[in-house]
Amino acid sequence: MTVVLVADDDADIRDLVAFKLEQAGLEVVAVEDGQAAVEQARTRRPALAVLDVSMPGLSGIDVCRMLRADPATAGMLIIMLTARVQEQDVEGGFSAGADDYVTKPFSPRELVTRIQALLSRARA
Amino acid sequence: MATPRDRSVGRLLTRAFGALVVLIVSCGAAETTALLMQHRVVDELSTHVQPLELTNSELRSLLADAQRGLRGYLLTGDGQLLDAYHEARSDYAVVGARLRGTASSRESGAVARQLARADAWWALAEEQRLAAPRSETAVGYVAQGKPLFQDFTAENRALDAELAARAVDLQKRSSRLSTVTTAVVIVLTLLAAVTAILAAVVSTRRITGPLDRVVAIIGRRRSGELDIRADATDGPTEIRAVAQAVNEMAEEGDRIRGGEKRDAARRAEVRELGYRIRAHLKVEEAIQEAVSGLATIIGADHVLVRMAPGQTEVPALASLRDEHVGGVLKELADCDVSWLRSGGVWASGEDAPDDRAAPPEAELLACAAAGAGPALTVAVSGGDECLGALTLIRDTGPAWTSVEMRLAESVAADLGRGVHHARLFEREQHLVARLQELDTAKTDFMSTVSHELRTPLTSIAGYVELLLDGEAGELGPQQRRMLEVIGRNSRRLRELIEDMLILSKIESGAFHPSRRPVDLVVLAEQAVAAIAPAAAKGRVVVRTEVERPLLLDADPDQLDRVLMNLLSNAVKFTPADGAVTLAAHRDGDEVRLSVADTGMGIPPAEQQSLFARFFRATNAIHRAIPGTGLGLAIVRTIVDNHGGRIAVDSTEGAGTTVTVRLPLR
Repeated sequence: MTVVLVADDDADIRDLVAFKLEQAGLEVVAVEDGQAAVEQARTRRPALAVLDVSMPGLSGIDVCRMLRADPATAGMLIIMLTARVQEQDVEGGFSAGADDYVTKPFSPRELVTRIQALLSRARA
Repeated sequence: MATPRDRSVGRLLTRAFGALVVLIVSCGAAETTALLMQHRVVDELSTHVQPLELTNSELRSLLADAQRGLRGYLLTGDGQLLDAYHEARSDYAVVGARLRGTASSRESGAVARQLARADAWWALAEEQRLAAPRSETAVGYVAQGKPLFQDFTAENRALDAELAARAVDLQKRSSRLSTVTTAVVIVLTLLAAVTAILAAVVSTRRITGPLDRVVAIIGRRRSGELDIRADATDGPTEIRAVAQAVNEMAEEGDRIRGGEKRDAARRAEVRELGYRIRAHLKVEEAIQEAVSGLATIIGADHVLVRMAPGQTEVPALASLRDEHVGGVLKELADCDVSWLRSGGVWASGEDAPDDRAAPPEAELLACAAAGAGPALTVAVSGGDECLGALTLIRDTGPAWTSVEMRLAESVAADLGRGVHHARLFEREQHLVARLQELDTAKTDFMSTVSHELRTPLTSIAGYVELLLDGEAGELGPQQRRMLEVIGRNSRRLRELIEDMLILSKIESGAFHPSRRPVDLVVLAEQAVAAIAPAAAKGRVVVRTEVERPLLLDADPDQLDRVLMNLLSNAVKFTPADGAVTLAAHRDGDEVRLSVADTGMGIPPAEQQSLFARFFRATNAIHRAIPGTGLGLAIVRTIVDNHGGRIAVDSTEGAGTTVTVRLPLR
């Protein structure tokens, strides 16, 4: 079963995403901050991580950068969740190494579609 | 006469008058000599020759009387006749002595000879007298006495003739002398006249010519030929001195004019300096400009600016080479300038300083400590307020002239204005910076708020979607309708947040314009392509009528926002089978962009309020057409930021045309 890491400090959104992904047949590891996200990414080796950009402590961008810097996790697929639409934030996400980004508020349906698209492309 | 070496008219006239005096004196001398000589001639004639002649003839007649008496007695014996003889005999002694006395050495020989003859006759006559009258002897005596008497007569006549000749000679001499004297006097007089005329003519010629030339030079100078000089080597000394004096006056005049020209040049430089001082927008730079400019133009060795305390944005001190920091101006820099009032001027060595500037003892001591030369302190005034003091010091040299003082005052006035302006400008800059900070804070706030709003919105919209997708079990029709209302309103909320964020960003864009040349047609086509799906969904046809290219200076993102907002509004308010037309043309130095639709239109009363934030037309609300009421406010703000205008032309039920005019640059 494909493991997906979900990191968001907002419990409601975390549950929403986890629920939608589990419904889509994925195994979800949900964490509430950047530090936990890095730890879980190293131990559970998920195929994909959904990272909220603004989290207390390590931000989603910091986590993304750390994962890309570690050879063990460098190949992981990463989708950023951002509440900001300003271009510089999007650029920051990409320069840190994100594969895609979704702006809040997002449609859970759309998020699942994007995740599945990335996963199938990675498998191909 | 003057030699070429000495061509003085004075010398010439002195010599001419000298000659005249000599001639006149000679004249007089000649006359006097002639007179003296004539006097001697006349004197000799009257006191010597003529008395001698007279005495001589008297002697002759005396002897003639004696002879006649004696002869008559001898011949007649008449005693009376003998008495005549005796009388003559006694007179002879007197007359003979007188003749001898009167005779000079020249005649003494002749006189002696004559008297000897007379004595010889007298001796014989005495013998005859003793003879008896009328005797033979007596007659013989008469005959005997005759030759002796004739001898005497001959001597007497000879003397007489000689004396007569001498008298004639003397008269001739006198007449000759008078002729010669007259001739000499005439010659001398003529000579004097000629000399006087010559002196007059020569001196006149010597004076008038050169003098006329000097006068002509003065005339030409007066008519503007200032470079011309009189010839100081021409003419006599006096005229040369006059020419020299004229030239010296000309030099003096030139010097004065040169000084005036220099002052005028300095005034012009000070004016330029004033412009430069006032052009500076930073107080420090304005002060530094004044300090260095004054040192050069007015020639000061030290320049110090002290600003009155209590002024922000202004440095308290400035000097030419920072001598106020431990240099010669240190003590002066420590003196405060509260003694100086607006418009005050004080120059060292001034006995009576004006009442707006009477420096205290400490200031005087500090001035003395800064250098022995003259010091000048001028108030830097801003209106009635004394902002500070400008002090100029010369190490050595002359006191400050009134011209220099006025120039320094002028610079101080310009500095005052410059400082005033620069302070105002700096305050304005601070204000602008503060406003920008506020604007940034607002943008940050908006950004944070939007973020904070998005997170709960994400949950609401996400869970509503899950419910509507039936992920939590089947929904009844009423439940579904209610969840759809929640979903629609969360979408509306999301749009509102986004529009507010955009508006905030655009408004702060007034401070950060990022314009570049863009082709409006390209942007318009992209916008039409972007709106196409929505238009297709509402079965609205979108047409474009553009003139290409339409290059203008603008922010492309903002322009895109204008196009999108106008097109989406048009499509949104146009019912099925309607049409939207986007037209863009060049109109003079503007671009005219219009978006026309065949939609519901806007009630006339509401057209004015269309661009107000959160305003929505009543007919749109009634028909529940979604919208934030910010779209046109955003468009209006962007158009304003680009220096353009926007207008709406709408007929309710027929359609609306929004026209935007943007300047090309």
